Amino acid sequence: MSVLLNQDTKVIVQGITGRIGSVQTKWMLSYHTQVVGGVTPGKGGESVEGLPVFDSVEEAVRETGANASVFFVPAAFTMDAFFETVDAGVGLIVVVPEHVPVHDVLRMRAYARDRGTFALGPTTPGILVPGVGKMGIMPAAMFAPGRVGVISRSGTLSYEFAGILSESSVGQSTVVGMGADPVVLTNLPDLLMLFEEDPDTDAVIVVGEVGGEQEERAAEVVKDRMRKPVSAYIAGKFSPPGKRMGHAGAIVRGSSGTVDAKHAALEEAGATILESPVDVAVWAAAHNLS
Amino acid sequence: MRLHEHEAADLFEKAGIAVPKRGVAETAEEALRIGEELGYPLLVKAQVLVGGRGLAGGIRTAESSGETAEAAEALLGSEIKGLAVRKVLVSEKLDVSRELYLGITMDGFDGRPVVVISTEGGVNIEETAREHPEKIASVHVDPGATFYPYQARGLLRKLGVSGKLLAACADVVVKLYRVFARYEALIAEVNPLVVTEQGGVAAVDAVLEIDNSAASRLGKAVPERLSRYENPIERKGREIGVTYVDLDGDVGLISSGAGLGMASMDIIGRRMRPANFLETGGGITEKLLYQCMELLAMKRGLRGILINIYGGINPIHEGARGVVRYMEEHGLDIPVVAKALGNLQEETWEIFRSGGVHVVTEAATEKAVDRLFELLSNDARC
Repeated sequence: MSVLLNQDTKVIVQGITGRIGSVQTKWMLSYHTQVVGGVTPGKGGESVEGLPVFDSVEEAVRETGANASVFFVPAAFTMDAFFETVDAGVGLIVVVPEHVPVHDVLRMRAYARDRGTFALGPTTPGILVPGVGKMGIMPAAMFAPGRVGVISRSGTLSYEFAGILSESSVGQSTVVGMGADPVVLTNLPDLLMLFEEDPDTDAVIVVGEVGGEQEERAAEVVKDRMRKPVSAYIAGKFSPPGKRMGHAGAIVRGSSGTVDAKHAALEEAGATILESPVDVAVWAAAHNLS
Repeated sequence: MRLHEHEAADLFEKAGIAVPKRGVAETAEEALRIGEELGYPLLVKAQVLVGGRGLAGGIRTAESSGETAEAAEALLGSEIKGLAVRKVLVSEKLDVSRELYLGITMDGFDGRPVVVISTEGGVNIEETAREHPEKIASVHVDPGATFYPYQARGLLRKLGVSGKLLAACADVVVKLYRVFARYEALIAEVNPLVVTEQGGVAAVDAVLEIDNSAASRLGKAVPERLSRYENPIERKGREIGVTYVDLDGDVGLISSGAGLGMASMDIIGRRMRPANFLETGGGITEKLLYQCMELLAMKRGLRGILINIYGGINPIHEGARGVVRYMEEHGLDIPVVAKALGNLQEETWEIFRSGGVHVVTEAATEKAVDRLFELLSNDARC
């Protein structure tokens, strides 16, 4: 098995008739993903890449048996599409779009949690299980099958890590983009536990970045609940400090969100700190992960 | 998008929060005129988008017209924490009996807004939070739910606020929450909320940061966003739809994705000095990368350029055409190294090579930075 996506995952593409949606549908199909249809309100009855297009998610699910959905919907329409998809009973939603308003994300997250729907993003490249399929925009060329899990806040950095691992003959079990926004639909500690429980994963790489407290909170899980080796890279060491305004964030979190603070928390929890992406190859070799 | 104090104060006032009488001045003469209308004493406050302004000398008290002109003169054109002061807020100075702190922000991990109150407002609020957590009270609010006065009163009572002040402060908190929700804020803050000798309350500072992703649907309800980017290259970047941050090095960077951009800067920063951060997001086109090259050309003293992009959602071959077209049209004479991987990578490499771009085909950004470093070292020997 793998994390989140497997042979039984039947995917619909929301926004399938759009410029990006149609191109990405082709890429997902060519990676052997079971894409079974798409939704664009008002374009029901058309077809894209030989797949049926429906007016509503409910209809798409009824006709195709889909159990997962990937979004290529404009940011302004994402919340509406998301509620529709949760209501239709789809269990896994991948929200690729960037610039979804944060106040919308809060509502989407609460809605999904209340109804037991698992969701990733926004601003996520999605999920890719090498040799099985992908939901989202990850470029297949970078990935190879294996037993290392990757979770990344940044989309393109997840490709960089997968690429470096693949070049070193270290394959990946599942690669998950958690989303780059200040509020995401699923937090890092919850994703880490999926990998901890996945029998096909031997070790996990966390690709984080400066700001927020996802990595600090993940460190608690690494320390208390995980047995698999974890390594972590945090981007942003040389980034100029933001011209911060207001105090509320610092008062609430009590943590600075700096690269140093994240390193300290993760190191204390027993994770290996990677100073640079290339160091992941050395770490993988040391743990016999190829 | 961060608003200036005077812009935020206008929105707070519109929402029914009491704000001291005030005016905005761009010259000492204007400051003087506002001062004559308001009377003395008053405060002259630098309008810069950075916290800790008071401790950095950006707020002055004036007891007379002479001192008002003097303070405005000193602040206008000066820099506070590296930011140029273009405007000052001239504001009535209240008789302070006590100062509270009110703040609302996103708890990103929890996924809900959180309302924070302290009875010890003022410049040392973060220290208070660390050393006297009992002087801070907070509550999370469910997304989309109304924040009620009783919730505000609950926090205030926990901090020992009673009597007339209880209802007066709760009213401000509720109104601040409405501002936070209405303007899709990431932070709304009043520090301090001043309780006057006469028993009134007023917001003496106003902080409001609006979610950039919501700015377009808010439309005219909020001030024009471009006005806040004072660096001309950063402003131009905003216009073409990329995130550009100007730095003082000499190695230019174009990257797709903020994480990859930050990692690239980290790697460049070990041996060279990054000139900028530039992140395209998922919207690469031929035109956009042509414009990115134009953007970097605005930067003086650039010695080389690193292009670090991935073809996931982005058609990187189109981007490559834009870079090469720019180089052909402008005869760029500094080395350009490109690492471009993902969908259609071979086609992309061909296009880059045809325009004289040095192509690196390995995944690690180190390899591309090494290549640029070598090229620049060779340059220096010539």
